[in-house]
Amino acid sequence: MRLLRDALIWFAAIAAASALAFWLGGYATDVYRKMLIWVALALSYNFLFGIAGQVAFSHFAFAGVGAYAIVIFAHQLGLPFGLAFILALALSAALAFVVALPSTRLEGFYLALATLAFSQLVLVVISEGGDLTGGTGGIANYRLPHVFDVTISGPWYTVVLVLLVASTLWMLRRLDRSAFGRACRAIRDNAVAAAAMGIDVRRIKVLAFTLTSTLAGLAGIAYAYIDNVINPPVFGLENIFLLLFMIIVGGAGSHIGAIIGAVFLYLAPFVLEPIVGHGFMVVFGVLVVLTILFQPSGLAGLVNRWPARRAT
Amino acid sequence: MSAIPLVSISRLTKHFGGLTAVQDLTFDLHPGEILALIGPNGAGKTTTFNLVAGVFAPGEGSIALGGERIDGLPVHAIAARGLMRTFQHNMPFAGMSLTDNILVGCHTRCSDSLFDILIGRRRVRRRETAARLRAAELIKFVGLQDRIDDDVSALSFGEGRLLELARALAGEPRVILLDEPAAGLTQPEMTRLGAIIRDIAARGVAVLLIEHDMHFLLPLAHRVVVLNFGRKIAEGTPEAIVRDRQVIEAYLGEAVGDLAMRPASA
Ligand SMILES: Nc1ncnc2c1ncn2[C@@H]1O[C@H](COP(=O)(O)OP(=O)(O)O)[C@@H](O)[C@H]1O
Ligand SMILES: [Mg+2]
Repeated sequence: MRLLRDALIWFAAIAAASALAFWLGGYATDVYRKMLIWVALALSYNFLFGIAGQVAFSHFAFAGVGAYAIVIFAHQLGLPFGLAFILALALSAALAFVVALPSTRLEGFYLALATLAFSQLVLVVISEGGDLTGGTGGIANYRLPHVFDVTISGPWYTVVLVLLVASTLWMLRRLDRSAFGRACRAIRDNAVAAAAMGIDVRRIKVLAFTLTSTLAGLAGIAYAYIDNVINPPVFGLENIFLLLFMIIVGGAGSHIGAIIGAVFLYLAPFVLEPIVGHGFMVVFGVLVVLTILFQPSGLAGLVNRWPARRAT
Repeated sequence: MSAIPLVSISRLTKHFGGLTAVQDLTFDLHPGEILALIGPNGAGKTTTFNLVAGVFAPGEGSIALGGERIDGLPVHAIAARGLMRTFQHNMPFAGMSLTDNILVGCHTRCSDSLFDILIGRRRVRRRETAARLRAAELIKFVGLQDRIDDDVSALSFGEGRLLELARALAGEPRVILLDEPAAGLTQPEMTRLGAIIRDIAARGVAVLLIEHDMHFLLPLAHRVVVLNFGRKIAEGTPEAIVRDRQVIEAYLGEAVGDLAMRPASA
């Protein structure tokens, strides 16, 4: 019975989010698609930062690796799309693993520094990559090729993004509710006690980092075909801090919080910009400080306080 | 009590810089036995725990668990071999529910691959169900069932000690190390703890505990090892220990020395 109910909820949510794609106009579609990418990134970053407790700043760098890899493999090098896709995902995973091995030895501030350095490195490589990466101008004028004679375009591509978000959420929730998820949270809360309970702290940290960074790579791949343009600034540091803000405001460690935080902070500038111009980052900063001080469980914590939720 | 030791500690030595925290320490621990480690503050009791649990590698000496050398193994590997511990200071997983805290203790019993978890293999689900049943049982066993929905950070100090105990038991250990489990407990909590420890040992688990409260300890422990400045100065039954001149001088003092003559309170 619960299984059936859950399946129905998932189906209804995916159907509704997909239906929206056919209803929205051109500009709104663009906003909606990018919002979905933010949600996908927020979900995986929430697992890394909020659940596994790793203060890493490399999430957008891995999205960049995925985006650039797919475009370079499929369009600059002209590999078949299926192969290019697998290679791009494998490259994200391999690179994530290589970065995870040394950096998961580090904690807090030092992990943040190491992953920031990696982000800068990725940025330099894609900005200075010559014809292969298109330099500071990036790469444009490519389009999603036919896969098995099917062209996915228009609202159908938005549906792909909805499915990306849904599968990311499904996967991360499932892992979160397993021994693996508990191990991640235990390490976040107290690594010494976690080890004493038989948890191989390094292994779990490397797994969590590699998995979530690979999911960032996947979101990057999907991002590459939204505008059919990729360029370096998107994968820069400003966005990683925005992603962090989304997690904190939404409620670190909560999947629903990651979604709410991403939607809220992604859409807020559309309302705020006409009023405060580029000052909205300041507003976000204040919001983050207020959240940390007065509502550490974020917007998700407010939602959970509804009496109806308590009763169930 | 079996004749074959479950844990064999032999000639263990640990230096911290110029300080010798544990020196030439040898003792055995048997299945079902309650062995108490006592001694003044700084005698090296916690350090001994940390050596056995793998937090520090010993400078010299060896530790065997069930005949297998475990010194030098990482902490998690030793835990996975059935050695669980509690800490002198409570170390809850503060951001997790009471039940999840205890489920973490089951980790070694349900560490499946990510792939198995994702495809929802039956073995994964079966283990998860078993772990949850066990966690619920343990919460009742230590008497925390009324706190099940509360924040772990809202637990009293004594309840926190009981949570640590339940968490360590969740892994179905062969050996359990309890670092001052009764410290900070109320009298009723202490009585309950004593019963719990006896129960654990009766199931064949080897219990090694550090404790200062002699009234709590004497009726509970089968055997006592006394440390002073990192060295073992005495080993024997509680009755023998409280009459030992060296122990009285180093630790118990004359006033406490006649403890054994008084009726036990715990
Ligand atoms: N990690 C450490 N580094 C340096 N010295 C330590 C460390 N742990 C314990 N010590 C020292 O070793 C000695 C024994 O400490 P400990 O084992 O905690 O004593 P006990 O638990 O018997 O009170 C003390 O002098 C203590 O200061
Ligand atoms: Mg101590």
